[in-house]
Amino acid sequence: MLRPEEMTRTVIVGSMDGLDPTVECLYELGVLHLMDFTKPDEDFKLGSPLPSASDSSQKLLKLRSMIRSLELEGYKPDQKLSVDEIGKRLEQALMTLDVNTTSKIDARQKAKTLIREKEGEIRALDPLKDFGVPIENYDGYSGISVFAGICKIDPTGDIQSRLKEFEFLSSQMKGAVAVALFVANEEKSEAVKILSEAGYQETKVPKLTGQPAAVIARNREEISDLQADLARIEADIEGIRKRFADFIISSEEDLSIKVLKAETPLRFAATANSFVIDGWVPKSKIEALSGALDKSCGGGAYLEVIEPEEEEPPVKLRNPKSIKPFEFFINLVSTPKYDEIDPTLILFITFPIFFGFMVGDLGFGAGLIVLGAVIRLKLKGYPDLLKLGTIIIVAGLLASIFGAFVYCEAFGVPFHPEDEGQTSWEGLVNIPLHPLLEKMRDVLELLGFAVIAGWLHLTVGFAFGFFNNIHHNWKHAVGKIAWIVILLGIFTMLMSIGNYPPETNKFMRATILSPLQPDVRVDLGGMGIEVAISSLVLLVIGIPMLVVTEGAKALMEIIGLFTNLISYARLAALAVGKGAMAFAFNSMLLPIILGGSGIGGVAIAVLAAVALVVVQLFFVFFLGSLSAGIQAMRLNYVEFFLKFFEGGGTDFKPLSYERKYSVATK
Amino acid sequence: MVMDVGTGLALIGAGLAVGAAGIGTGLAQAQIGAAAVGATAEDPKMFGKGMILLVLPETIIILGFVIAILLWLKS
Repeated sequence: MLRPEEMTRTVIVGSMDGLDPTVECLYELGVLHLMDFTKPDEDFKLGSPLPSASDSSQKLLKLRSMIRSLELEGYKPDQKLSVDEIGKRLEQALMTLDVNTTSKIDARQKAKTLIREKEGEIRALDPLKDFGVPIENYDGYSGISVFAGICKIDPTGDIQSRLKEFEFLSSQMKGAVAVALFVANEEKSEAVKILSEAGYQETKVPKLTGQPAAVIARNREEISDLQADLARIEADIEGIRKRFADFIISSEEDLSIKVLKAETPLRFAATANSFVIDGWVPKSKIEALSGALDKSCGGGAYLEVIEPEEEEPPVKLRNPKSIKPFEFFINLVSTPKYDEIDPTLILFITFPIFFGFMVGDLGFGAGLIVLGAVIRLKLKGYPDLLKLGTIIIVAGLLASIFGAFVYCEAFGVPFHPEDEGQTSWEGLVNIPLHPLLEKMRDVLELLGFAVIAGWLHLTVGFAFGFFNNIHHNWKHAVGKIAWIVILLGIFTMLMSIGNYPPETNKFMRATILSPLQPDVRVDLGGMGIEVAISSLVLLVIGIPMLVVTEGAKALMEIIGLFTNLISYARLAALAVGKGAMAFAFNSMLLPIILGGSGIGGVAIAVLAAVALVVVQLFFVFFLGSLSAGIQAMRLNYVEFFLKFFEGGGTDFKPLSYERKYSVATK
Repeated sequence: MVMDVGTGLALIGAGLAVGAAGIGTGLAQAQIGAAAVGATAEDPKMFGKGMILLVLPETIIILGFVIAILLWLKS
């Protein structure tokens, strides 16, 4: 659990005849993390792809272009085809698809372009349709300038008064005036001025002949013909898509896998007649791999375990199925190194407890369990969300347990009234559970628990640091022990100053801390602050130890350690904050809801109930759970991980593939 | 509720401890958060590291909270 899977460095050697079955065998088992061969020399060259590679890649290329042109990206097939069937149908199907689809797609493109062109012409000719001037007459003069387009305001008056030689046509359009002005070149600049004052916009007269109105009518006819054609083509393409979609997606996947396998030899060393595959295999899988190789290659390939050199093995975390989802948190930061402790187990324990301590409400906890279950059921396709769903369920479970047995409340309403006249669940059911802690009253006790949790958590962190360092740097390892001693000193001191918080403090002094005699005290600096002598002794032992092992700089971090410990106070802060928020909403709105009488009263009560559900759901349930989750995560990432975790390991990525849309045949 | 001036001042101090520490945390997190989101957008693997950096200043307000509790005890 705390250690990743043990890896062995493995070399597989064989003759070229055995290459194909060996690669096949490796992919089927999925246990070999291949080390890429990067330094070809005179003896060993990079391997060349299996013979099937080029043919498969070509077909794959065709299929992928089909997927694009048939818009099949992201399509999920209704039925999965078997590899045998794909092999049988592939040639024929590719041929049919090639002939039909390519021409259809081209035709569709052509029709669309033509329609666009014709529509453009109609738009350009539309202002000129009432003038009765053939299109060809708008162009080709040497002494005359032609303006054709639309104006925002009618320029007729200005043109008649300011120009001398001209021919002007205009007609009213929707919200504008269509104009055509033929003017002598000498007066061109004046004409431009007049038109621009009127908000003139030129229309680009197409190079056509005949009356604009006739051309427009002809174009409209042609467009409707083209659209009919287009609809026919689309229907044909839709038919092809329906008929071949499943096949295309299944065979694309199958061919991708084939190409992946066929190109694997590019990653390992080969001579003319032999190949060498170098990689890491989990120790527990060596037997299985060796057996499978013997069986499938019939002696064509040999497996040998070798002593690794200075390389870091890849890391495959090894956790039971119930803990595995919590690897999600580790992946968010970094994979642990091979010889580092894997903290997933501690996350599995602490995250839900911290979360439960902060949320601590039977109603909201149950809500979270439902939410997590919904995520798991609805979002099966996303492995990360699946893990998150499980984490939410576990966290919700702990929140419910804390809510039921420790705080005794549901939806912010206590099981039994804490004050005279307070709304509680007693009106509905009498739950025979009484709170061990009340969020709003026992703030100090909550703080005490938080600091105890911090002390335990940090001590485990330093202990992990000790084990991580013990094999290669004993000095650092002893340094971690020094930290544990100092931490215990600080903790004992906190617990012995002023006897706060009363109950937790008494309990700790009587039990865990009793060997340290926390009640034997000394007045610190004559200021009336009494601390346990043992805490000072611990600091006196720990600090020199720290200076010797980690250097004098580490002294600065003792303040940091104190802050780390106080940082766990957030557990109490969030519990109180959430409790106060739920209490505030409830005490404002519940009396209105329960006190309504008469029609008006009931209407107000219903409104208040809706308001209560909305604010509780949003502020307390979603925002509260989100912040509690982030804080529980943070305590692990910052306070805990920084005591021992380095990370930066390589993930174990074996040769393997995933079949989603096709079925392998034996 | 009758309250002597000393208690009132202590409670005001408690409020200031939480409020001012909250402002400080907010100022620090605003800049770190913006940078962390930028880094995550470029490389989603930065999420974890960005998250660690983002939540570091939160300790400030926790310290404020603890001081407030201590003041509240004194009052």
